[in-house]
Amino acid sequence: MGQLVKDFINGLWNENPIFRMVIGICSSLAVTTAAQNGVAMGLALTFVLTCSSVLVSLLRSIIPDKVRIPCYIIVIATFTTVVDLTMKAYFPSLYEVMGIFIPLIVVNCIVLARAEAFASKVGPIRAVADALGMGLGYAWAITLISIIREIFGSGTLFGVKVLGESFTQWVIMLLPPGAFLVMGILVGVMNMIARKTASH
Amino acid sequence: MLKDLAFLVVGTVLVNNFVFARFLGQCPFLGVSSKLETSIGMGMATTFVLTMTAVAAYFIQYYILEPFGLSAFLQIVSFILVIASLVQLVEMIVLKISPTMYNAFGIYLPLITTNCIVLAVALLIPQKGYNFIESIVFGLSAGLGFTLALILMAGIREDLEFADVPEALRGPAIVFLTAGLLAMIFLGFTGLVPL
Amino acid sequence: MNEYMRMIVVLTVISIVAGAALAFTYEATNPKIQEQERQALEQAVMNVIPGTEKMETVEKDGMTFYIGMDGQGNKKGIAFKTTGSGFSGPIEIMVGYDPKEGKLTGIEILSMSETPGLGAKIKEPSFTDQFKGKSVNDEFAPKKDVQVITGATISPTAVANAIKTSLDKVTEIYPVGGDY
Repeated sequence: MGQLVKDFINGLWNENPIFRMVIGICSSLAVTTAAQNGVAMGLALTFVLTCSSVLVSLLRSIIPDKVRIPCYIIVIATFTTVVDLTMKAYFPSLYEVMGIFIPLIVVNCIVLARAEAFASKVGPIRAVADALGMGLGYAWAITLISIIREIFGSGTLFGVKVLGESFTQWVIMLLPPGAFLVMGILVGVMNMIARKTASH
Repeated sequence: MLKDLAFLVVGTVLVNNFVFARFLGQCPFLGVSSKLETSIGMGMATTFVLTMTAVAAYFIQYYILEPFGLSAFLQIVSFILVIASLVQLVEMIVLKISPTMYNAFGIYLPLITTNCIVLAVALLIPQKGYNFIESIVFGLSAGLGFTLALILMAGIREDLEFADVPEALRGPAIVFLTAGLLAMIFLGFTGLVPL
Repeated sequence: MNEYMRMIVVLTVISIVAGAALAFTYEATNPKIQEQERQALEQAVMNVIPGTEKMETVEKDGMTFYIGMDGQGNKKGIAFKTTGSGFSGPIEIMVGYDPKEGKLTGIEILSMSETPGLGAKIKEPSFTDQFKGKSVNDEFAPKKDVQVITGATISPTAVANAIKTSLDKVTEIYPVGGDY
């Protein structure tokens, strides 16, 4: 049980894919102009990551070592297409905003990295704990970025006005440079927090 | 015709630069942009694979997926598999033809499969309805834009090594902040060509 | 079973299972996707032709027209799509046109990627409403009979030009005062 909790917590902070490992960041820069996009993208990735981790873990003794990467890619691409079609069918307006970044979950380094480095070596239950931790670690990071960008860029949060009428929108926050700047500052802040907690 | 192709090149390399405006290929962008030499190698290898991918994606979409009505649900799977095999194939061919060339950029090839620019180019070709020539030009200029971004960043990062960066910002953080400034510069290209 | 056989068998089985799973998902979601697309289109037509309750699609001279009708089947106007070249990408516009009166009944921006807070304001009613009731013979010149947005002239100009250009063709197919 303790091991499972450890696997889960790992992705949330110690090896947080966005802030600590800095992998799979394309989507966290691209779709984070509004908080709801961040939440949706986070959930979509968590779904693909969890499903493919379980399957990779279950199939780990069947898949021959030499063709493991193509096998993982097929598994990941299949779940990604499932998410792609489901979002298109039930959340068309959200799908429109995410555009190409839903199919691009396939090549998100986080998913393949966890399949290769973790899920292919442990049982399905530990694989789920790790995938959920990593997925939610990604989700909170991307949501935080999108909250900051939405508040300063549009003066709203989840579409509700939070900053008064007199607030001048920082359009730069919604444009590409804003994404890089917010990301840079947040990674710096997380480094500082990590160092503070480590020295205690 | 030639004018449209020129617009496509400028639009893809500068206006909608894959790294600074479309946020793609960030992992290799962060990973290999610390040295100018490796940046050029990686940029060339990626450009080559991207051009090949564009050709492959065009044929798969219009000669296999669409005639059989499979493009709605097999597009992602087939594109990524073709890219992965293409990268392997290129690696083997380069090794056979020129071991010197393989030493120069062979090591970057396996990394290219998970570069999201490659899959994005494949997916964008049917989405934007490019014809065969446009597809090749699109793939090529996507690669050139990526190379440009890598070279710009590497040049800055080589100098940045001598700068007194606050400890917390060292590593990826300062690269993001620099990329933010570069993205602002690239923003100046918007409206340059009709898209 | 030797190693190569096993590799081939495993890869083939995984591919077949994946393909089958996807075909099944596609079958399950496709009706809903079609339905969503139809609804979005119908909503856009309703927005640009006031009083529309149902619509009919007509192909004519290489263009697609959506004829809006009220509950009794009386024609209220026709809608069509056009695309303009904006500041940072194409702008897709749905235009409502009433041939009887020779006037626009409304427009809606279907998709665009203009600068948020500036050019993106073309999506807002404060901009689109000015086209309601506009005569098709108007000039559609920005800053003259089309109000532009402060700080962004390219996006409104693109919209005005796209509408004017497409109207030139549409008024040939459906002349002002003619039947439709």
